[in-house]
Amino acid sequence: MAKALQTLGSLSAFWFIFPCLLTLIFTSVYPVSFGIIVSLTNWNWGNQLDYVGFENYLNLLSDPEFWVVVGNTITFAISATAIEIALGFYLAVQVEKLRIPTELIRAMLMLPLMVSGIVVALMSKVMFDPFLGIINHLIRIFGIGPSAFYGAAKTAMSSIVAVDVWWQTAFVFVIMLAGLRGLPNDPIEAARVEGASEFTIFWKIRFPILRSLLLTVVIIRIIDTLKVFDIVFGTTGGGPGLATEVVQTFVYRTAYSYQQIGKAMATMILFSLLILSISIALQSLQRKVESS
Amino acid sequence: MWRQTIQARFSKLWAYLFTGSMILFSLFPVYWVLTVSLKSKRDSLSNPPLWLFEPVTSSYTKIWNHDTFKDTFFNSIIITLIGIALSLAIALPTAYALVRLRLRGKNLVGIWLILAYMLPEFLFVLPMFSLYQWTGLYDTHLGLALMYQVHVLPLSIWLLSSFFREINPAIDEAARIEGCSNWQILTRIYIPCTLPGLVATAILNAIWIWNELAIALGLTFSNAQTVTLGVTSFRGYAALDWGAMTAASIIAIIPMLLFAAVAQKHIVKGLTLGAVKG
Repeated sequence: MAKALQTLGSLSAFWFIFPCLLTLIFTSVYPVSFGIIVSLTNWNWGNQLDYVGFENYLNLLSDPEFWVVVGNTITFAISATAIEIALGFYLAVQVEKLRIPTELIRAMLMLPLMVSGIVVALMSKVMFDPFLGIINHLIRIFGIGPSAFYGAAKTAMSSIVAVDVWWQTAFVFVIMLAGLRGLPNDPIEAARVEGASEFTIFWKIRFPILRSLLLTVVIIRIIDTLKVFDIVFGTTGGGPGLATEVVQTFVYRTAYSYQQIGKAMATMILFSLLILSISIALQSLQRKVESS
Repeated sequence: MWRQTIQARFSKLWAYLFTGSMILFSLFPVYWVLTVSLKSKRDSLSNPPLWLFEPVTSSYTKIWNHDTFKDTFFNSIIITLIGIALSLAIALPTAYALVRLRLRGKNLVGIWLILAYMLPEFLFVLPMFSLYQWTGLYDTHLGLALMYQVHVLPLSIWLLSSFFREINPAIDEAARIEGCSNWQILTRIYIPCTLPGLVATAILNAIWIWNELAIALGLTFSNAQTVTLGVTSFRGYAALDWGAMTAASIIAIIPMLLFAAVAQKHIVKGLTLGAVKG
């Protein structure tokens, strides 16, 4: 009897997560298996559907264009994440020093996070316009420029990085500020009494405690920037030439403009594996940091 | 000692200066785009750019009346509401089961959620595109909301779980002795007790859904186009219609600003919890 009741209990527990399981199957098992199967064909959304084995994968890996795209994506992810982490963390440290209510300050600093990526992209197009944009006008005051920004292969990528920094630095800031405020005050006060400099207090006491949280934010930002789509699609569309083409805009073009769905899915499978291995590597690094 | 005081003063001053300039950096682009949207066509194309001008609302009336932009705005509202309703309906029982019920393979569900959260959009969009065309879900509000629901589900479950964990589990026992089923415990105790957390989750989901582009681009064509696609349609490379582009941008931002104004604390809590969980 007791056993029967227990089974009934876990059965009802199962029904609680059943909708979630159904959704996960529908939206991850199905797409991933579909993706793997289609990546082994030359499907064009239409009648052409032949098994081609690993041809798509081999073609991709020997295609210089693919490597340019991968290189662009990694360059973007590393530079944007590095700047956002440094700037966002530094800002959090400065805001934490302020002796005034920071509610409104935080709200103003968070504003960019509320804006959709495509809107950020279009806003930046207006501001970065080579002839009429306000940015060129402003940097002229400091004797710099004018720059073509999105128009030239040399500056297009840094312009997109700058836009992402404007957009997402607040994410790092918000989380690190919460982290800083959650730190225990006693050891810091004790060190101050003993005459330790603020610099030492930061690097010897506060930073080591926050290291794990900071790494989490790095992981989130790296994955997010690797997946970048909106701000590239909305500004350069991958150009000029291939200067800013990233994996997700490349896949969009391959699938919807060239109808090469097999190739597009092969790219996505490879890319997902890359994201997975990067995040596994970073997470094991984090575990090491936590245990040390 | 004297030197230390000066140093401390300077460091405070620098903190104010740096924070101030970062606020300027955050606000200026939105301010500037707002001014461009309120300029007449001639003013918006003036060189050098005008700081002072006579504001006109013609760009707003133009995009609101003549294009399909208005439809995309209301589509987004409908899709966001369906998406939130679906995600909460699925996340609430899941979060409760993960926190309070005995269940084999709990951790597996957690890992699966993280994976679904991490993988790139087009891995899902392309297979869904063909399934949706086959089932007739392509270019429908429901079809898009279904996909959105999935993407906000992991975060919703993490957030709700952390709110549920704050409730004393002894309450469950007491209620069970009174003859309450798990379902009744969830709907009569847990949901009412964590209502502010529920609202926070819904708001974070709304922000994510409202701002999403890639999935909408892949799974809609005309009927269910969202506001982000509405804004995209003003992107034009050749024709410089800055008025329409900036006015559309501002309209798309406004609902999110309202959310941020009423729920800043919740948004911060949501982001922080999400980061700690993810």
